Amino acid sequence: MLSGDEEAFTALYRLRQGAVYRFALQMTGSTAVAEDVTQEVFMTLIEHGNRFDPSRGTLASFLYGIARNMVLRRLEKERPTETIEDCAGEVDLLGDLTRRETIEQVRRAVVSLPPVYREAVVLCDLQDVSYQDAAVALDCPVGTVRSRLNRGRSMLVKKLGLVKKLGFAEPVRAAEGTG
Amino acid sequence: MNPEQAVLKALHALGESDRDRQASPEAEARLKLAFRHRRTVRKWRRMSALAIAAGVVVALFAIYARGPRRIERVPVRQPTETASAIPVPGASRAAASAPVIKARTRHRAQPEIVTDFFPLMDVPPPIGRGALVRVNLPAEAMRSVGLPVREDGLSERVQADVLLSEEGMATAIRFVKVF
Repeated sequence: MLSGDEEAFTALYRLRQGAVYRFALQMTGSTAVAEDVTQEVFMTLIEHGNRFDPSRGTLASFLYGIARNMVLRRLEKERPTETIEDCAGEVDLLGDLTRRETIEQVRRAVVSLPPVYREAVVLCDLQDVSYQDAAVALDCPVGTVRSRLNRGRSMLVKKLGLVKKLGFAEPVRAAEGTG
Repeated sequence: MNPEQAVLKALHALGESDRDRQASPEAEARLKLAFRHRRTVRKWRRMSALAIAAGVVVALFAIYARGPRRIERVPVRQPTETASAIPVPGASRAAASAPVIKARTRHRAQPEIVTDFFPLMDVPPPIGRGALVRVNLPAEAMRSVGLPVREDGLSERVQADVLLSEEGMATAIRFVKVF
């Protein structure tokens, strides 16, 4: 591809663009931004593809890394004026996870996470990327990926109101109550 | 089902619903166009670099064929554009104060306009001594450094000063308009 083989580039694009597009979509919740980011990632690959070092990680993690930087730049520019604190709606979240509004409710909850937790959740839980690859893409140790993932999931539990729906006591509040 | 399992189930459902989403075919078409454009630019650069190298070889041959009297040593204390215009990482002050070899040509007496120097090497060697050689090149060489050239003027000849390192390597070039 780097030597100018268009067929090789097309094959690579078709193989990888879906993952890059979905990552950007799940990070931003916007199809237009996801489309732009996908295009910019592969433009970067055309211009600076020789920066890819297979000894540092897989091509997938390299592409996720580029996509992540571009998404974060977008998020910086288009910082939302308000954050979604509670995404638990009237929909029965666990009753029917095949319904469109239920899925969109989960998507809104993910998009409302702070970016550092959101990227870990999107990569590891939505894209099924290994911790190793996620660590390369996020440029942090594997342990950090794990801790951000756990924190992100906990925040989602709260945002989706799963504790109340499932009848569990919230541990922090319970501790506060005894003190 | 505990809240952690519930959130994983919800995330899994979101991941599944997005599994087939990808960028539009228009994005692929735009990237292919960009890829072709990039390939053409690279080809032009390669050809221009070859043309510059050939011009330098011819000029060097001409200089050495005329004999050493054409070249004189001049102290750098009178700062020349050659030494000041090009940023050379790693060049020491001592090296900068060493004398440089400067080609004396008849063109100096004529009024002329020169561009800035454009580096021809990613990491130029420190300049202690060097030579400035006036060469005649096809105008397409200007494209290799990003200067605009009309399509119909690519075959016209232009004059340029090539800065040679002590080892005879072309390190930078500037284009000259002689009146």
